[in-house]
This record gives sequence, structure tokens and C-alpha cells, in this order.
Amino acid sequence: MLDYDQGPQVADLRSRLRRLIADHVPPDYLGAFTDDPADLEVAHSFCRLLASEGLLCAAWPEEFGGRGASAWEQTAVREEMWAHHEPRGAQYMGVNWVGPALMRHGTPEQQRLHLPAIARSEVIWCQGFSEPDAGSDLASLQTAARRDGDGWRISGQKIWTSYATMAQWCFLLARTSRGERKQQGITVFLVPMDAPGIEVRPIPCMLGPHHLNEVFLDEVWVTASDVLGDVDEGWKVVQEVLAFERVGIARYARVDRLLHWAPAALGDAWDGLPDELRSRWARMLVHARRARLLAYRVIATQQTGQVRPGDTAAYRIAVTRLDQDSAEVLMDIAAELTATDDEARRFRRAVEDHHRYSVSATVASGSIEMQRILLARALLAAA
Amino acid sequence: MNTDLSPEALEFGRTARRALEAAGGDELAHAGTAARDGGEAAAKVLADLGAWDLDPRGSAEELEAAAALCRSAGWWAVPHPVAERLARPRDVPAEALVVVAGDGSAGAIAEAVTRLALRWIAVDLGGRRSRATPQPGAVPVGKHGVAVPLDLAPLDDGGAGDVALGLVLPCWTLLGLLDRAIDLTSDYVRVRHQFGQPLSSFQSVQFQLTDAEVERLGVEELAKHALWSVSTGRPDAVADALALRVAAVEAAEVVFRITHQLHGAIGFCDETALSWLSRASQPLRRLPLGPSATRAALTDNLGHRGLAGLFS
Repeated sequence: MLDYDQGPQVADLRSRLRRLIADHVPPDYLGAFTDDPADLEVAHSFCRLLASEGLLCAAWPEEFGGRGASAWEQTAVREEMWAHHEPRGAQYMGVNWVGPALMRHGTPEQQRLHLPAIARSEVIWCQGFSEPDAGSDLASLQTAARRDGDGWRISGQKIWTSYATMAQWCFLLARTSRGERKQQGITVFLVPMDAPGIEVRPIPCMLGPHHLNEVFLDEVWVTASDVLGDVDEGWKVVQEVLAFERVGIARYARVDRLLHWAPAALGDAWDGLPDELRSRWARMLVHARRARLLAYRVIATQQTGQVRPGDTAAYRIAVTRLDQDSAEVLMDIAAELTATDDEARRFRRAVEDHHRYSVSATVASGSIEMQRILLARALLAAA
Repeated sequence: MNTDLSPEALEFGRTARRALEAAGGDELAHAGTAARDGGEAAAKVLADLGAWDLDPRGSAEELEAAAALCRSAGWWAVPHPVAERLARPRDVPAEALVVVAGDGSAGAIAEAVTRLALRWIAVDLGGRRSRATPQPGAVPVGKHGVAVPLDLAPLDDGGAGDVALGLVLPCWTLLGLLDRAIDLTSDYVRVRHQFGQPLSSFQSVQFQLTDAEVERLGVEELAKHALWSVSTGRPDAVADALALRVAAVEAAEVVFRITHQLHGAIGFCDETALSWLSRASQPLRRLPLGPSATRAALTDNLGHRGLAGLFS
């Protein structure tokens, strides 16, 4: 029978996370990647705190330093973190999908080297996927690796690489051969970012610093032991990684928090808003719930060991649109805010940040067009 | 957490759908408008399945079975007030419940069901109940009539527990209509060829269909959540029901616009099931509250507190 009560364990975890956030994350915090370097330090110290509390990698299996948290506990962590502007900073990538990819495909040596470092929040990873001519069409990537002695030489260019300026390691895709299909001949390399031949150039953008970078690789040497999985078989690993990422961000949670904050931030002025604007606010609350329930649909299915790519794509379409639609409504509400107290100022800043960041929602981590293609494939195949 | 109806409820819904198909399927909707007996035929089939013995207010199991049944009735656009009969009050003699807009002084009902000799109770959003009778001699609006007005005789203020159920079950019927419209359209774009290839090979067609499907899936999840809210007697059940209705009526607009467009001219024709589904959806989408009025009702209900969620 239907039951949307997540139980006391999840409720306790949620309360514990909120207490940690309230005690250790400044109320003005809008994420690690702002013009204020202190925000980055907040993320570093908060991740160390989560690690010491056994919460950073709670979802990981016990053999890799986690405690095998349930899918709904993992969901609560994702929701609470994203709702509060992701105080794990760049670390969410290591925890959410680099670590799991290493668990599935890594050698024991790779697992010993990388997993404890992620679990202790000692290392940041970046993702070397997109290239100037390989965005949504990722399999067209041209960065090439050739054998050189007992290792590989990698040359090429990556782009839109978040956190490359601060990362110690890169989860990088390079072409190692050419098969009949462009998906063949791609290999995953675990590349140390301090290797000679790597140059990172930040790309200034409206999202803030550290979000976008170019990474140039000029004859970068890596060892054979830095190959993840089998040579030429990286596409399979990528498919798994993208699946992790697609359900990874609980965008609806931040939207829900901002929408519920709005009446409190406006106080008595709330009742003076145009009816039409309050109606749009109510509609966005419905859409936020809708996106959350679509996420739960995907998670519940995954728990049974099934994968329904169409459901995942539908969730991504709904949640990324929610991000943008809610941002417009919230900006209109914030524009009606005349108070100048601390809460009003914080609300305005949070809404402005949400709006600026929402622009990327339908592009990042697989564009909305790609999600529609995936959903159409599922829908028409089933018809 | 469990985000699925019980296996028994799902099986009941499937059984009802098969039984309705055997009784005529799409012909039920046609007959309901032309020969005026499709609804009665459907009612008999459902009676044989024990539908009218269900007590959705009595247990979560029976409520889920009722929801699954409404969805199957929607699939075939059955011209019978299935949801309204399943939502009937238990504390007053009545066979059907209809939610009406406003303060209980006015109401309307789908024209297709006015011929049935049922005792109706109307309840407004404030829980005021009336005995309702379709106005004699009222002229339905439009070719197949969206609605006819009701005469309301005030009864009591005891309908607070009726409102959420009375809003939620018809949304399950509407969900069934959306299921079918997308199913028909997915089939149609695969078999219909233009420019030497199936319509489904055009990305513009695919993307329109995915927009409709995202709306339908969203309604499905909200419908389950609102049903759980009713079955567990949550204090937010009316807000949850209105939230479902906001999404459902918006989704219906998107789904029927897109599915008609992708069917082209054949979608208007009486030989096409979509044409009947589209018409049958109208009362469900407009009564008791259309999209704007539903949003307004939800906004009033939410006040400053918002919809129950992660941060309410």
C-alpha cells in the first residue's frame, strides 16, 4: 500500500544534518564557489566534519568506509545538502559518483588509493568529459591517449570542467582506438591534476568562479595503473556514471526551501502581493512536490533492482524546468520585497543566486534535449 | 516508503479495464452520448465486479482499489459517474457525491450523468453539504454538453471529510483519460508515415510527446500521494487534493493539445477514440473548478504556510 512516511531513521538523519548546518554553515552561505574564498573553506571544513561524523559517505558500503545507509537516507542527505546550497562544495562528485564508479570498476590498488581519500574529504575530483566539439554528443570526443612504455600519453582539450582549478584528480575520458562506432575505443583515465603538461584556464561566467574551466593536456603521462576498467571499454563506465549523476542533484529541495521562505521573508507584505503572483507561487509548490515525487519514483524503482531510463529522464526534465520556472516566480516575489533587515537581504541574495544558477539547469549534466530523446526512446519502444 | 498501489488494487484495476473492454470498450463512450445506454452498460459491468460494494472510506486497501477502478474507467471514457459513486457519503442516504464550487449555493454536474436516477450530495470546499438535483429542463452547453446546473437544498456542515475524497477520485478518472490519450498517440505516430518515414522519427514529434508524458507522470505521482493523504486522514488532505487538481487540469490541457496535434485531422473524427476522450475530459477539467479557480482555491488554502513539503 502507499506510504510516503520515510520513517524515524530518515527524520532523525534530517534533523541531525540541519543541526550541523545551522551550527557550522553561516546563514549567508550561498555555496562554495563565490567571490569570497572563505566560502570555499566553509565547504572544506564542513566536509571534514561530515566525514568525522560518518555522514560524508554514509551511503557507501561498509567495506569501503561507509555504513550502507538506505536509499531514503541517501535521498535525505542529497536533499538537505542541495537545499542549503551544497555545503559539501565540489566534494559531492567524489561521494556521489566517482567513488561508486571506483567501487564497481577499480582495481584493489585504485580503491585503496582513492576511496579512503574521498571518504576523509582529503581530495577533490573533477570530470574531464566535455570537449569543444563533444558536448551532448560526448562520444565524439577527440582527446587521445597513446601507449608510451608502461603508461600512456594524453593530449587534447576539455571544457566546462567544474572545479579543475582546485581538483587533485580528474576522471578523464580519452580515445585509445577507433572502432566501428564512436562509442568504442574510449578509455577512462584517473589523472593527477599536478601532472606535467596540464594547464587549467578558468572561464569567467555568470555562475561564479570555479564552475567552468578549460583543461589543456599536452603529452600528459599517466601509468597503466591509472586506467579505470578495461582499455577501450570506457563508454560502459560512462553510462553508469551519467546514471548516477542524473538522479544526484535534488534541485527540488532548494526550490521547496526558497518557496517556503518567501512568505516569512515578506511578512505582512505577503498578503499585499498581487493575487496572480501568489497563485504562481502556489503552483510552483505543486511543481516542486511533483518533481520530488518523480525522484522518489526513480529511487523506489532502483531499489527493486530495475532501471527505467524513461522515468529518470522524465524526472530530470521536470526538475530542471522547475528550477527555471521557480526562479522567475521567486525573482518576481523578491522584487516586491521592500524590507532591508537581515532576513530580507538573505532572501534576496539566495533568490538571485538561484535564478543565476538555474540558467544552467537544462544544460548541465545532460541537456534537456538529451533527456527528451531518452524519454522518447522509452515511450516509443514501449508503445 | 512505498510509492505504488497495492498489487491487489492494481489487479482490480486491470480486471476492470478488461471487463469494460469486453463490454464494448470505446463503444461505451459512443453509446453514452448517442444511444444513452453506455453508462448503464458500464455500471452493470462494474456492479458485477463488486465495484459498488467497495468502501473507500473504510480502508486504505479499498480506497486504492477505488482509485485503480476510476483510472480504468477513465481509460475507456466511461460515461458513468464512477468516481462520484465511489465517493458517496456513508452518513447520509446517497449514491453519489459531487464537489461544487463556491459557498454551496450553486453547482453543476456533467451532463452525461444527469439522466441517472441517483441521490446526489453536493459538498463545497468549506464542507457545507446539500442535496443536489440536476435542474429539470436545463439545456447543456455545447454539442455534447459540458455541464448542467444543479438545484441545491442545504443539508448540513458535516462534509469536511468529503471534500478531499470528492476531489481526488475524479482526478484518477482524468489520469486514466491521459493514460489512454498518450497510449493512442504513441501508437499513432509509429504507424502514421509522412515524407516516407513514421511520424515518430521526427524529433519535433518526439519532443511534443515527451512534454505530454512528463505531465502525465507527474499527475500519476501526485494522485498517489493525495490518495495516501486521504487514506491516512492527514490534516493537509484538502490542500493535497487541490494540489493534485492543479497539476491534473494543467496536464490535461497540455496532453490533449499535443495528442490532438499529433493525430492531425483524424483526431477530430468520431471514428477515433481520442475524439471521445477529449470530449469526455471537459467536465472533469472544468468542474467543480477550472485551472484558474483551482489555483486560487489552493492559494487561499495555503495562506502563508505553503504546501506540506521538506521545508513547510
